[in-house]
Amino acid sequence: MQNKNTFTNNLKNLCLLIEPALFPKFFEILQGGFMVKCRVGISIKTLLCEKLGLTPAYVMGRISTIFLDGKPVDDIESAVIKDGSSLALSAAMPGLVGATMRREGVYSSLRSSITYEEKHSNYLSKEGLISLKLYNLLIDELGPLLLKRGIFVKSTELSAFLTKQSDNFWRGCKEILLGGKPVERSVLQKSNLPAWYDWVYLTVLTG
Amino acid sequence: MDKILRINMGAEGGPKATAVPFGDYAGLGGRGLTSAIVSKEVPPDCHPLSDTNKLVIAPGLLSGTAGSMTGRISVGCKSPLTGGIKESNAGGQPSQVLARLGYGAIVLEGKPKGDDLYKIFINKDGVRITTDNRLKMLGNYDTVEKMKKEFGEKIACISIGPAGEMKLNAASVACTDTELRPTRHAGRGGVGAVMGSKGVKVIVLDDTDMNMRQPKEPEKFKEANKAFTDGLRKHGVTGEALPAYGTNILANILNEAGGYPTYNFKEGRFQGTSKISGETEAALETERGGVATHACHRGCVIRCSGIYNDKDGHYLTKQPEYETVWAHGANCGIDDLDKIAMLDFLDDNIGLDTIEMGATIGVAMEAGLLKFGDADGAINLIKEVGKGTPLGRIIGSGAAITGRVFGVERVPVVKGQAMPAYDPRAVQGIGVTYATTPMGADHTAGYAVATNILKVGGFVDPLKPEGQIDLSRNLQIATAAIDSTGMCLFIAFAIMDQPETFQALLDLINAFYGLNLTADDVVELGKKVLKMERDFNIRAGFTKEQDRLPPFFKTQPLLPHNVTFQVKDEDLDKVFNW
Repeated sequence: MQNKNTFTNNLKNLCLLIEPALFPKFFEILQGGFMVKCRVGISIKTLLCEKLGLTPAYVMGRISTIFLDGKPVDDIESAVIKDGSSLALSAAMPGLVGATMRREGVYSSLRSSITYEEKHSNYLSKEGLISLKLYNLLIDELGPLLLKRGIFVKSTELSAFLTKQSDNFWRGCKEILLGGKPVERSVLQKSNLPAWYDWVYLTVLTG
Repeated sequence: MDKILRINMGAEGGPKATAVPFGDYAGLGGRGLTSAIVSKEVPPDCHPLSDTNKLVIAPGLLSGTAGSMTGRISVGCKSPLTGGIKESNAGGQPSQVLARLGYGAIVLEGKPKGDDLYKIFINKDGVRITTDNRLKMLGNYDTVEKMKKEFGEKIACISIGPAGEMKLNAASVACTDTELRPTRHAGRGGVGAVMGSKGVKVIVLDDTDMNMRQPKEPEKFKEANKAFTDGLRKHGVTGEALPAYGTNILANILNEAGGYPTYNFKEGRFQGTSKISGETEAALETERGGVATHACHRGCVIRCSGIYNDKDGHYLTKQPEYETVWAHGANCGIDDLDKIAMLDFLDDNIGLDTIEMGATIGVAMEAGLLKFGDADGAINLIKEVGKGTPLGRIIGSGAAITGRVFGVERVPVVKGQAMPAYDPRAVQGIGVTYATTPMGADHTAGYAVATNILKVGGFVDPLKPEGQIDLSRNLQIATAAIDSTGMCLFIAFAIMDQPETFQALLDLINAFYGLNLTADDVVELGKKVLKMERDFNIRAGFTKEQDRLPPFFKTQPLLPHNVTFQVKDEDLDKVFNW
């Protein structure tokens, strides 16, 4: 019998090939948070530029609002990703508070009580899991890349997401592979996933 | 736009309209003009619903021109909600139309003796004021439909719903949008109750045969407008984020920051945020055949609004904004966008401030009147307000009164006005503005208006504790100035980040009026407006004790960051030392 607490032992691969028009349906998962496997003990900038392959210009110019463990980050070179960290990425936001949350923005002092501060400098670089959330413009721009690479989603959450989808959604799903084998949509519609696995490695391709 | 239309609703023989020159008010518009008139002409100690209060409706300095983003309209009076001076502004069409008719303001004065309800029709030929008791207790949507039948579709309306007629503290003044729907509201402070006290149900504006206002220097104006518009379009916030997702794009961010007030300001994060976020809302609107990118008035290039259809693809309401989705959503524990959209429609139709109503229902939930998350219960409560039942009248009187009636300690108000969607324990700087603005808790009173470029108050060291006080002061000054132009506050981001866009804004004003205003002049205008407002409130009996947040913000830590409001009272008292 499997140990349900063991992440890798309770994992199933699910690959969906969808029509591009269906992509907005996955906003809910991308903004609600998902897990990715990556190096930890490295700075946010290193993660974004070297591990996710984003250009420094894109990171500096576009990802202007970043939260690490729920705290707005100013210095992405000193803030370090740890195993289990939660990282949220956003473009520039409206409103005074939107401007306040910006990295090193002119109004950042207005939220000084919650600003992220890195307490230590030496962290061991190793393989780990982090929670990632994408917001607003970055969902469109980074979402397809991450879904293509694959993300980890709690099977209860994925199941809740899949079972509420309409016929339109399923008609736009051209191919469904569960554990590498083609399955009918009815398998995913019957809330079976939570009973079988803790986590699903979800890959979504458009075409 | 060279005259002020004064309408004495209490004149002998019936309401009387007189157009008068600007006189001492020359050079003022929008908030600058409403606050100047209220400050000078309204006795500060008057009852807000008495004949001595005045309701001033003023387009901005650039409204009615070809300038982009110039369609805000200011509504000012002594507020029945706060007891102090009030300026509440809205988008929609009336600002442009009123300005093209040549009026810099409408001032409703006096009070009719009977209980007749009036409609006011204004076009190029003049002003017609008639009784129309058919309109009594009609919702804003039905009222506008009747006006369309009577006056045609080339009109813009300013109206009140049943809440305004009942003179409830949370009553708004509705303005019609580009589709002639009453969806844009001057919501804050109970301005609709003051319009109701004057016996005015609707003001119908028709600018047929009237021309756009012409600048003194047409070529310079055209050039500046192009530079200004280009600046807005190329900026990430005004050119991409707001058009794509609307103002509710902020929900995820505030939730992540732990500053998204949840369950009546008990917590800073809401589990259901991804179900009600701007990203989800925009996708749903598009899927149902609505619109996720839509302008609330002609000449808007940001287009942060939208059309929200129901499950069957029929129009339900305009795209509920960030504050509305928060107030009726996270603050009440409701994560169903359709229910929130219904609440938005009811607020608009009955004529209620969505922030005040969401906060009030949150307080009612805290009191145990209904459970957090009870969306149908919330809808029923708003319907009670519309019917004018005793319970509905309590709810329609706002969060402060509802809290007193039901014995609730945690009531998020300042000067009697409900707090918007940013918890001041997580974002302490906005707490300074909530506490000290003459308007009562107001997120737009100290907006992100380019203080860095304006150099308001000189250099501010953001790393020092007093930086928050200085920044709040400077933001309030800059915002008061922008509110006077009739410009939408959302231009703030482009002018903050792009000096050339700020210069284009100055060039726009200068080319229109043939002036040579500098950034310093803009700062002086903002200070002048704030001084008038502060002065009115002091004469109305306000002291520094009203410039405070409710005590629970200092004593009840906010999850997840476990923070309390730390700014000292003596520092709050320094905000207006300039």
